Amino acid sequence: MTFTAPVLNYAQLAPMLIVLGGALIGVLIEAFGPRASRHASQLFITVASLVAAFAALVRVRNQSSVDAAMGSVGFDGAGVLLQGTILIIALLSVFLIADQENFTALAAAVPGSSEERESLQLDLRVTEVYPLTLFAVAGMLLFPVSTDLITLFVALEMLSLPLYLMAGLSRRRRLMSQESALKYFLLGAFSSAFLLFGVAYLYGYSNSVTFAGIQASITGGSGNDVFLLLGIAFISVGLLFKVGAVPFHAWSPDVYQGAPTAITGFMAAATKVAAFGAILRIFYVAFANAEWQWKPALVLIAIVTMVFGSVVAITQRDVKRMLAYSSIAHAGFLLAGVIALSKSGLDASIFYLFAYGIATVGAFGVVTLVRDSAGEVTDLNRWSGLGKRSPLVASVFAFFLLAFAGIPLTSGFIGKFSIFSAAYETGSTAILIAGVLSSAIAAFFYIRVIVLMFFKDPVEDGTSVVIPSALTTTTIAVTSLITLILGIFPAPLINFIESSAFFIR
Amino acid sequence: MNPYNYLYVSALLFTIGAVGVVVRRNAIVVFMCVELMLNAANLTLVTFSRINGTLDGQVVAFFTMVVAACEVVVGLAIIVTIYRSRRSASVDDASLLKR
Amino acid sequence: MTTSTSLVYLIALPLLGATILLLAGRRSDKWGHLLATALSASSFGVGLYQLSQMLNRPTEERGVSQKLFSWISVGSFNVDAGLLLDQLSICFVLLITGVGTLIHIYSISYMSHDENRRRFFAYLNLFIAAMLLLVLGDSYLNLYVGWEGVGLASYLLIGFWNQKPAYATASKKAFVMNRVGDMGLSFAIMIAFATLGTVSFSGVEEASHTASKAALTAIGIMLLVAATGKSAQFPLQAWLGDAMAGPTPVSALIHAATMVTAGVYLIVRSNFIFDAAPTAQLLVVIVGAITLMFGALVGTAKDDIKKALAASTMSQIGYMVLGAGLGPAGYAFAIMHLLTHGFFKAGMFLGAGSVMHGMNDQVDMRRYGALRKFMPITFITFGLGYLAIIGVPPFAGFYSKDAIIETAFNAGGVKGILLGGTALLGAAITAFYMTRVMVLTFTSKERWEDNQHPHESPILMWLPMAILAIGSVTTGFLFTRGHALVNWLSPVVGEHAESEEMLLQPMVVSGLALLAVAIGVAIAVMKYQRADVETVAPQNVSIFTRIARKDLMQDSFNEAVFMRPGQALTSLLVKGDENVVDGAVRGIGRTALGAGASLRKTQTGFARSYAALILIGAIALIAGIWVVTQ
Repeated sequence: MTFTAPVLNYAQLAPMLIVLGGALIGVLIEAFGPRASRHASQLFITVASLVAAFAALVRVRNQSSVDAAMGSVGFDGAGVLLQGTILIIALLSVFLIADQENFTALAAAVPGSSEERESLQLDLRVTEVYPLTLFAVAGMLLFPVSTDLITLFVALEMLSLPLYLMAGLSRRRRLMSQESALKYFLLGAFSSAFLLFGVAYLYGYSNSVTFAGIQASITGGSGNDVFLLLGIAFISVGLLFKVGAVPFHAWSPDVYQGAPTAITGFMAAATKVAAFGAILRIFYVAFANAEWQWKPALVLIAIVTMVFGSVVAITQRDVKRMLAYSSIAHAGFLLAGVIALSKSGLDASIFYLFAYGIATVGAFGVVTLVRDSAGEVTDLNRWSGLGKRSPLVASVFAFFLLAFAGIPLTSGFIGKFSIFSAAYETGSTAILIAGVLSSAIAAFFYIRVIVLMFFKDPVEDGTSVVIPSALTTTTIAVTSLITLILGIFPAPLINFIESSAFFIR
Repeated sequence: MNPYNYLYVSALLFTIGAVGVVVRRNAIVVFMCVELMLNAANLTLVTFSRINGTLDGQVVAFFTMVVAACEVVVGLAIIVTIYRSRRSASVDDASLLKR
Repeated sequence: MTTSTSLVYLIALPLLGATILLLAGRRSDKWGHLLATALSASSFGVGLYQLSQMLNRPTEERGVSQKLFSWISVGSFNVDAGLLLDQLSICFVLLITGVGTLIHIYSISYMSHDENRRRFFAYLNLFIAAMLLLVLGDSYLNLYVGWEGVGLASYLLIGFWNQKPAYATASKKAFVMNRVGDMGLSFAIMIAFATLGTVSFSGVEEASHTASKAALTAIGIMLLVAATGKSAQFPLQAWLGDAMAGPTPVSALIHAATMVTAGVYLIVRSNFIFDAAPTAQLLVVIVGAITLMFGALVGTAKDDIKKALAASTMSQIGYMVLGAGLGPAGYAFAIMHLLTHGFFKAGMFLGAGSVMHGMNDQVDMRRYGALRKFMPITFITFGLGYLAIIGVPPFAGFYSKDAIIETAFNAGGVKGILLGGTALLGAAITAFYMTRVMVLTFTSKERWEDNQHPHESPILMWLPMAILAIGSVTTGFLFTRGHALVNWLSPVVGEHAESEEMLLQPMVVSGLALLAVAIGVAIAVMKYQRADVETVAPQNVSIFTRIARKDLMQDSFNEAVFMRPGQALTSLLVKGDENVVDGAVRGIGRTALGAGASLRKTQTGFARSYAALILIGAIALIAGIWVVTQ
């Protein structure tokens, strides 16, 4: 038996390798670096590796091959776009994470213990959040470009494990934060077991672990259809869990609320891009020919998800939970793009992911600014009259909400419009109707918050808007600018996506 | 022996694990049930590997073991932290976040 | 169609002004108002230039368009950010920029004591730009952008004095009510896109010939909802009276001449939809007829001069909507009334502002009286507007309102008699309440307090009033010479169709209308000129007066129609939400709120129940796929 050495296309893998390298350097700094300069050097390494990864990605943007890593990683236009989106979102989120006021000083200390007080007095910092972020980003980069089931599973775990830990790092309300980490972890592990079980059945069905092999089997129609059915169903459970589709959504409001806000923003935006990237690839490439089997179920899930997310969001009293439900609703809208199963559906989904991710990071960035003496204020009632206290911050937040609602002149409008028209073109009228109706419901609760901020009198309870640090300001400014530009002048990005988004098979 | 019987066994194991996650309260036990599900999946993979006559399934199983080990590290860290703060490893006690 | 490169300047100039003023901040306090006025005036200049160009072209080539950039292109679907200037939009462009400029000039003086005057002018310019975008957009989507833009600018302007709580509440009410209307417009656009595959005016017009009647009716009804929200028509009229809390020039610009007429523009612009959907068209007529009576009745009981004028605006727009609902016979008359109304109502609002200016911001008409002697110019200009609105020949309102009444009578059958009768009765009531305003303010005995010293306003204020007064005298005559306006608009709104059999001859209608006016005026003069007027509104009045004072119970109506059923449906309400929104939206939102509250209970906080949910979901998914596969 001869052993062939693996051939890797390092240029195409470079973005992921750079991010992983940065993460490893971060671990070393954590172990050996002097405590005083740790934060600065970690921040530098993180930002530098994200920027370098982006540069490496730009360099190979026009390449495509099925053989980036022995058939396990596919490199194509859609992959480049998704990876670029993830890197941009990650960079903007890191700026928010850099505001260490949100994080516990010593994650291992018991809340309320003398150990914790001491760590706070010493002004310790959880710099390990940076390498964790980079590991998660590396997993996210790998997730949407993986073209076999092993890589898919490993990438899923790679992005999830750091996020479980990061959810538990909040400085205040630590019990809640730890609880969110526990819930996220247990349910995440539970759902990835489903995914793995699905992997097993798909392998049993097609005798192959690559997407191309599965597709060939489905086209050939030789395998046992029960295995295919079980495989698609179980894999879908794992993937739909990550995007927060109903009924696999229950973790997201709790985790969004409990996790430190900067992490929530990162998680909400980047995970959604990565997970939808993977869903799009596996459904467009591997399962496309079994469309008639999974489409009705997915249509139902999409409709239920958008309606559920929109309706429940109305009753929320906490701004982070409200954004969580809104992200559930958006998962439903995005599923419309998966169901469309067409080139325009793919284009629309990628545009939507970019627009939504950017606006989400910005919105959570604003949430970090509203504080009182005990930390962030996320109770919506205490946000009333924010527009009078701090018109600029309230206006920016209102603008993001309008983008989520899909009001013209924001990126959300273009995104919704294109994704619904893609769904409509392929005959999913039910999706269109449900989408429009739940958009209307959604608009109601976004506007409710705007009314609350601008037309109600402020409550005098010490809630105030802190002056943002330079990095947070950058994030909020850049995200709102992109959201505006994409609303007024989206044609260049749409054209770019149209010309380059495709899945290599 | 008919290799399909292994599929039934693994499906049974997976179900036991899934039900265990839902009914057990102790976080450690819940976590063990998840591990049981992963191993059921591993058994399925190896069985299919045997049925199909290729090695891919066994390779996946190896990857799964490594990933499961990583998951243990992260999971136990989180569960121990919770236990230290709450003096309880019950998943039902941790329910501040709701509605 | 001819293309042009200069249309964008119409919008760009005021937008530039708003940007400069907002960015420059306090530094532009000294010259900001002058710049804003100059830019608004130059936009008017561009409008005049476009008109002269248009007149030089043959009739069928008069419309010009300009593509700005490709806005949305998704698959086969394209929307350009494009502008369209045709015979209909030029009327609006000139009205908006012309009246807008006059109001800029007026505001220089009116707002001179306000330390935030520059910001006010920035908002005014922003409003002009948005309104121009609304009437110049070449598709429903572009119109929608302008539609939202005027909404935004108007909240900024109404809430300009938002340090006063009542004013902030007013802008909230306007905000919420308008959202309902906006929802209608967005639904209309989506239905149009879903069924016709296009949202541009020309595309929809073309597609409307072949589209199903059901789709067109749905679009038409949704457009009507949009129009009722923006134009304060029944049942979304409640916000207009409260919006009077804003500065008076704002009321003159937004609530008389421009924004509130956007609904009429929308209906006339969509004439091809309504012509093909008789049900929707009938609803338009009904809404118009109800509102014209509603506004007129409310107007009879208001003691606040601005609220009386607001009620009158509501009623007059009711006339326009009624006209627009009468189909090709009425579109041109609706626009004609809109234009003449733009002159006389804006003039009267400015007059009211001038009175308030001289009376220490007193708005209660029971505290006015005999101001004729102290404010002769205001009296004359207001009086000319008054003669125009009640429809005395040869003032503008006579021509435009008579035309609508006449068309209503000739709509045929019982419908015609009902509509014509309503319009005629409305004219009598209009004459009554406008005479009441006139008498209480200018001619009856003095009822003001001793410390008030009424005086005439400065020239910068009365000059715009005078110009508008000239307009309210002459425009009606000019528009009807040789059917000038009707012929001008016919390429856009369709050939003007005279009904074959006339129920009543024009002369008879005019005679009846004049008779109605005379009766209304006579009653008002008897009641208010002859008798003494109490300075405090009497409480022991008939039930009808009390109802009218309460805006015909419109808040109670909203509650009964929208809120109660919603409450009954949803017992699981979340407490404390009552204060967040009010009015109609509350009821609609309640159902969703109740559903949300019960669904929310699924979020128990227990990780195990979430896992159970996932497990059930997985089983359901397998079952679902199984069922489909078998």
